[in-house]
Amino acid sequence: MDFDFSPEEQAFADEVEQWLTDNHDPVVMDPTRENFTQLADTPERREFMKKLASQGWLGMSWPKEYGGQEIEGVYEYILNEALAKHAAPQIGKGVGIIGKTLIRHGSDYLKQEFLPKILNAEIEFAVGYSEPQAGSDAANMQLKAEKKGDGWILNGQKIWTTSAHFADWYWVGARTDSEAPKHSGISLFLVPMNDPGLEIVSLPTIGKDTTNQVFFNDVYVPDDYLVGDEGKGFQYISEALDLERFTMFTLSPSTERARVLIDWVKTAERDGKPLKDDPNVRRLIARIVTDQAVAKGLSVRFVCAARKGGKPPTNESSQYKLFATQLSQRVCEDALDIQGAAGQIREGQEEGPIQGRFEGAYRATVVETIGGGSSEVQKNIIARRYLGFPKNF
Amino acid sequence: MDLEFSEEQQMIKDMARSILDEHSSVEAVRQIEDDARGYSEALWEQLGESGLLGLTIPTEHGGGGQTLFEAALVYEELGRTLATVPHFVSAVMSAGILNEAGSDAQKSEWLPRIASGQGIFTLAWLEPERGYGPVGVQLEAKAVGDTFVLSGTKQHVYFGSAADQLLVLARSEAGIDIFVVDAKADGLSMKQLLSQSGDAQYRVNFDNVTVSASARVGAAGSGWETFSTVMNDGIVLLASQAVGGAQQALDITSEYMKVRTQFDKPLAAFQSLAHYMADASTNIEGGRMIVHEAAWTRSQGRSIKRLAPMAKLFCCDTYTQVTRTCEQLWGGVGFTLEYDVQLYFRRAKQLELSWWDSPYLEELVAADVLDS
Repeated sequence: MDFDFSPEEQAFADEVEQWLTDNHDPVVMDPTRENFTQLADTPERREFMKKLASQGWLGMSWPKEYGGQEIEGVYEYILNEALAKHAAPQIGKGVGIIGKTLIRHGSDYLKQEFLPKILNAEIEFAVGYSEPQAGSDAANMQLKAEKKGDGWILNGQKIWTTSAHFADWYWVGARTDSEAPKHSGISLFLVPMNDPGLEIVSLPTIGKDTTNQVFFNDVYVPDDYLVGDEGKGFQYISEALDLERFTMFTLSPSTERARVLIDWVKTAERDGKPLKDDPNVRRLIARIVTDQAVAKGLSVRFVCAARKGGKPPTNESSQYKLFATQLSQRVCEDALDIQGAAGQIREGQEEGPIQGRFEGAYRATVVETIGGGSSEVQKNIIARRYLGFPKNF
Repeated sequence: MDLEFSEEQQMIKDMARSILDEHSSVEAVRQIEDDARGYSEALWEQLGESGLLGLTIPTEHGGGGQTLFEAALVYEELGRTLATVPHFVSAVMSAGILNEAGSDAQKSEWLPRIASGQGIFTLAWLEPERGYGPVGVQLEAKAVGDTFVLSGTKQHVYFGSAADQLLVLARSEAGIDIFVVDAKADGLSMKQLLSQSGDAQYRVNFDNVTVSASARVGAAGSGWETFSTVMNDGIVLLASQAVGGAQQALDITSEYMKVRTQFDKPLAAFQSLAHYMADASTNIEGGRMIVHEAAWTRSQGRSIKRLAPMAKLFCCDTYTQVTRTCEQLWGGVGFTLEYDVQLYFRRAKQLELSWWDSPYLEELVAADVLDS
């Protein structure tokens, strides 16, 4: 039993913390963008990722033959939590699901084209799985890929592609066999985001940022850009989720929000009295820090399960995601309740408590219990894997 | 980071599990409810002989010298089996107080007897119509020559009739003091109060009970400091007990849901019901993590001033909520005495209300976060 990092892990965590403090840049690190801070979506943020790459911190867990260091995934967990804490872009999709899937299943051609660029932070990806009729039912994707000569013609629509408007390449699932059962008729493709057949339509959200719909109009993809085997796309997608447990759903943003709230409560006054002496405020704060500690415990649990190897920690990961994302929303809700009437002042104005930070966060965190497997999907997973219940949908 | 138990830890947990499975079956638990003594002597003997009673008592006083972590593993098993024994009042709280502040003479007189189970101590702390804080301790200790005379009433004195000695929190001129009082002392009388869980607890009246000055544990006025220090460790064990009870309630309920059918399918196949259980299991696992973190942190000699109250707050809350959910899932039969789920439901709320309730724990956490 040991809740501490090993001396080597702790040294790495300290090194990262120091480096992020030394490289603090308010343009790159803007906590008010909430969950969108993880994206390298501006020139400054892409430049930051290059600096991170030159530290050797991208692809640390990759095999050495592809430029990695073959070190444990826990280092990527440490790095990503630190990046999230500082509201910096995170290591994300490239070194995660895309890089790791290419390493396991990609052709030499695709490996050579993409892996070095990922390690050097020269490339940003968008991921296209969801479609209007394929949300939680992800395997129901209908974007059509028809064989034509030495390639494929893609037609249809994706939705919730958050990175579409700045990414270089699109990692996209499409149906290559409409006769096969829904899980086995899907294949993965890589498409340049500037393809003239792609139309990107912005979808503004109730958070600070936008997401996108992407329409495919006769987009031609050469065979070379089919990832792995035809028909195995959904298998690769599921496998990548299992490989990526270390860097999903960071807890630090919610921990930081709680810290910001507590710092504010300590000095705020209402009717000339310290707000922190209000019994209801004290109760809410006690519950928040308690639940944060529990969420941290659940994250330690899935990290330890993941590093043990063997069975992917699907249940541990689901229980953590379910608890942590609901808590993240509750912290924002409690914060507004504590702030009272002034809580409604729109984010970004000096007159609001903490410049309206929690007004914005209250809106931005709505998506946390929806994206990346909704709370209800997590509960179905827990019911089957932990409780041994039958399929219920 | 590593969540595996050591071989010795696993052995202690397995031993507790096997003793409790044998001596604290659900039938045995039902039989002992509302009993005046409140525990099985056979189980008590087993706990003494196996070393589980003296687990955390120092080896030089006849104990096992283990840390709070090993004790937490045992307490999860106590919670799982709903075992009612004076382990907490005697071997944790009383032994803890004597070890923390007692004189060498007190330690060597009492600790080996507590560790073996030959002597039983209990704690006389709470008073009628008073709260959990130090201001709630008002039983008077009047200095008369080289004696103290105790007058007042205590409540929630667990296993009062079985105890040989009571550790009594009393108010003297110096503040709060703790005294060792013989259960048979003149002027001491007790009455059993039936409780929600059916355990053996007493209201104890002190009518000019005289003890010698040497019966005081620790320096004058240091009683609350000693008591709250020991409590801060103790509540981690109660949190672990809550996790054990909640897990067992969840386990028996999920098995029932797989076999009970309505509308031609098992309850487990109804999404709304499965989701209640998914939430319940998540909170139980989270509770177990915070217990393990608190107990482990303490075993490393670090402070758990904040972690300990958080652990009891969260785990007791979880136990209460999980068992209410389980009652709902068992349906009408869960409301009957015949089915076992009610045993957990009643104990859950009592544990939440006992040994610092949620509002008191919330304030401990809030004070540490906001006032420091």
